[in-house]
Amino acid sequence: MMPLWLGVAPFAFAYAVLARNTGLSLVETQALSLLVFAGSAQVSAVGLFGRGAGGLEVVLTTFLLNVRHVLYGMSLGRVVPMTRRERLIGAYLLTDEAYGVSVARGARSFPFVLGTEVSLFLVWNATTLVGALVGGVIPDPERLGVDFVFPVAFIALLVPLLRLRVEVAVAIAAGVTAWLLARWAPGGLPVLGAGVSGALLGAWLTR
Amino acid sequence: MSFWLTCLGMLAVTFGSRLAGLLVRMRLPPFWLRFLHFVPIAVFAALVTPSVEGPRGEGGIRVAAAALAGVVAWRTRHLAATIAVGLAAFWLLRLL
Repeated sequence: MMPLWLGVAPFAFAYAVLARNTGLSLVETQALSLLVFAGSAQVSAVGLFGRGAGGLEVVLTTFLLNVRHVLYGMSLGRVVPMTRRERLIGAYLLTDEAYGVSVARGARSFPFVLGTEVSLFLVWNATTLVGALVGGVIPDPERLGVDFVFPVAFIALLVPLLRLRVEVAVAIAAGVTAWLLARWAPGGLPVLGAGVSGALLGAWLTR
Repeated sequence: MSFWLTCLGMLAVTFGSRLAGLLVRMRLPPFWLRFLHFVPIAVFAALVTPSVEGPRGEGGIRVAAAALAGVVAWRTRHLAATIAVGLAAFWLLRLL
């Protein structure tokens, strides 16, 4: 578990610093970590807030990013027996990392899954708090170019996903589409449009 | 939409997705399974490109630092290292 905590902590820190410098309050920054608890969706939301995106665009992008959790649930529900209440708690805390570890370690019991999930939740939220406090006292974030953390964080998330040529092609297509759309469409539309069309392109190319 | 309404919406679609897989027995058509596989790739790429250039006319050095961060991400697959190198490169290039 240790390497996993070390992996999510810097991400939560970067998220919280960005959130504070986008104008979210300490409570709002923490609330997203407590209530939504989905790293890439939280950072996307903050970036979209910064671009002046509307709430609906942020929610739709969150949905687009997180609907893959349906797959994790289906896969986990098949190997780990859970009561109804356990499913509710397990679902609330389900993340890529918790799913990955549970499956990789051959989890067969709910306590194992829950232990993994809770530990990640605690690390994520504790580091969010630290980042939100630090992010609130950075003297001149504009001059430091703190907003540059945003594209770099997504490069760090994107590049390890690119193993096949078709995945690189989809990334380039979506990147170019979003860049072009951002010339004239405000807010979150470029990300939504390029995200949906890029994923459709990938599914079509691999038919 | 206010922050809290947006936050509630994010909670609903995220928790809803997580719960749906655990509660509902269903089979997704292969096309949509592949679609879901490509969603993070497309969305992350779409989040990078419009924000790389930045608003302060530092486009050149930001693109260069981002490219270096991309190489680090490719070589190490390490999130913190990628962010650290990207930012360090950006600040160094600004000083030059």
